[in-house]
Amino acid sequence: MKMDHELTIAVVCSSNQNRSMEAHSFLSKKGFNVKSFGTGNQVKLPGPALDKPNIYDFGTTYDAMYRDLMRKDYELYTQNGILHMLDRNRRIKANPERFQASKERFDLIITCEERVYDQVLEDFDNREQNNEQAVHIINIDIQDNHEEATIGAFMICELVTMLSVSDDLDNEVDEILQKFESKVKRQVLHTVQFY
Amino acid sequence: NKDEEADKLPDSGSTYDTVVELLNQAAVMTKSAEKISSLRKAQELIIHKSSDLLDNFLDEMLAFQSDQSKDVKRFIVGFMEEACKKDFECLPKVMPSMVMLLGDDDVNVQKKVILTVSSMFRLTLAWISKAKQTRAEMKDVWVHLNELKNLMYDFLESINDGIRTHAVKFLEGLTLTLSKRTADSEVPKKNEEDFSVEQMPENNGIVDIASLEEEGRKAFTTMLQFQGSPHISSINLMTVMNSLANIAKQRPEFFDQVVQSFEALHVNLPPTLAKSQVSSVRKNLKTQMMGLLRHSASLDFLPQISTLLTDLGASQSEIAKNTPKDLESRKRKAFK
Repeated sequence: MKMDHELTIAVVCSSNQNRSMEAHSFLSKKGFNVKSFGTGNQVKLPGPALDKPNIYDFGTTYDAMYRDLMRKDYELYTQNGILHMLDRNRRIKANPERFQASKERFDLIITCEERVYDQVLEDFDNREQNNEQAVHIINIDIQDNHEEATIGAFMICELVTMLSVSDDLDNEVDEILQKFESKVKRQVLHTVQFY
Repeated sequence: NKDEEADKLPDSGSTYDTVVELLNQAAVMTKSAEKISSLRKAQELIIHKSSDLLDNFLDEMLAFQSDQSKDVKRFIVGFMEEACKKDFECLPKVMPSMVMLLGDDDVNVQKKVILTVSSMFRLTLAWISKAKQTRAEMKDVWVHLNELKNLMYDFLESINDGIRTHAVKFLEGLTLTLSKRTADSEVPKKNEEDFSVEQMPENNGIVDIASLEEEGRKAFTTMLQFQGSPHISSINLMTVMNSLANIAKQRPEFFDQVVQSFEALHVNLPPTLAKSQVSSVRKNLKTQMMGLLRHSASLDFLPQISTLLTDLGASQSEIAKNTPKDLESRKRKAFK
């Protein structure tokens, strides 16, 4: 199908590592125009203990994180899948991106957790708005682990596919979301903001 | 590479040629993204780099309004706004195109026009207020704008949900332009320069300030009624809530009515909302109430606002954190 206007999509989680990157990878393979972001202050990855996460700045490349963790404990980070994830991520883009630092505009922003949804809305509140175009913001709760991220990416792709065939998103989004909710048996949050 | 060519641009003689070249390219391009990219470069040159060329090329740019692509049309609507911001004298030439594009078959073009009309209102009033002498053209533009405005009220009844959402944004802009900024107005930095009615000289020969303000109140009341309509969609509802909260913060004369309307909404949400939509709307209500609470005008409404926030699940510490310190303690601090 040839569309006059291609939907621009952002997928957002906290650290732009697992949930948003899984969806980013999945959606771009399907040919969607997608970017991904995190809303946290820093990028957090699991460490040797729950209270000892690995913390990086958003500017740090996935590659640098990969090499850092490989040096720290190759066994551990291979076993828990972090190296595998970072390897996937570095093939998609250079480094995690912070949502609040991006000036790009999207038609659709999908968040993976209610707290992230709140942070995205808070950012819109602080942004300078010109009222030039509308953007739909939708939250689907996805737990931050590998399995849930895979299922989550699948659901996000399903939703985006349903939304992308609409010629008039503003008019049809409510109906599409209700269909989606009953199909996947999950509730979403949804609102509209203006750039 | 064409990008590089456009970036070099030594003097204005060749700027002229570059614009001609860009417009010629755009005219024969078939892909709308490429066309827009050329037009965007031309816009940059004639609005920001050599604005003396704007008049020369205005008609040529506007000609793209009849392009097949809705994205190109939308781009041209954006260009019209930029051109009028740069030079008010573009308003008379642009206005007929706005009217035409508002009647476009594509709703996305219509929506872009709707979002632009309130800006045109602001620019036209600024144009009239700055003129030493009012001219017939100003009257014409003003008449055109009022026709557009009447259509916007009709759009609130449109069968298309998105058109209604955008009509609300228009009314928000109209209310802000047609009401006076006061000492306790909290205006976003970006809008500080925006024209509003207190800057209008009384004897301008075209518009009467009292009736402008009357029109502003009408727009506001229409939004209140829209928020209270029983079958409003969740997206329209959240949009109008956000618009009303923006107005309350920027024009505190409306603060009490907005707080009251939110209280009424809270106890009487539209019955047509699905379960998850109720969650989204309640969440939105909480966010907007917190925003109102942070405003200095909230001091007169603290009991109502904090009761409502508590009902919506806010904690006492969250409420305390967002409550402005009263004037007395501010004074005390100043003395220390």
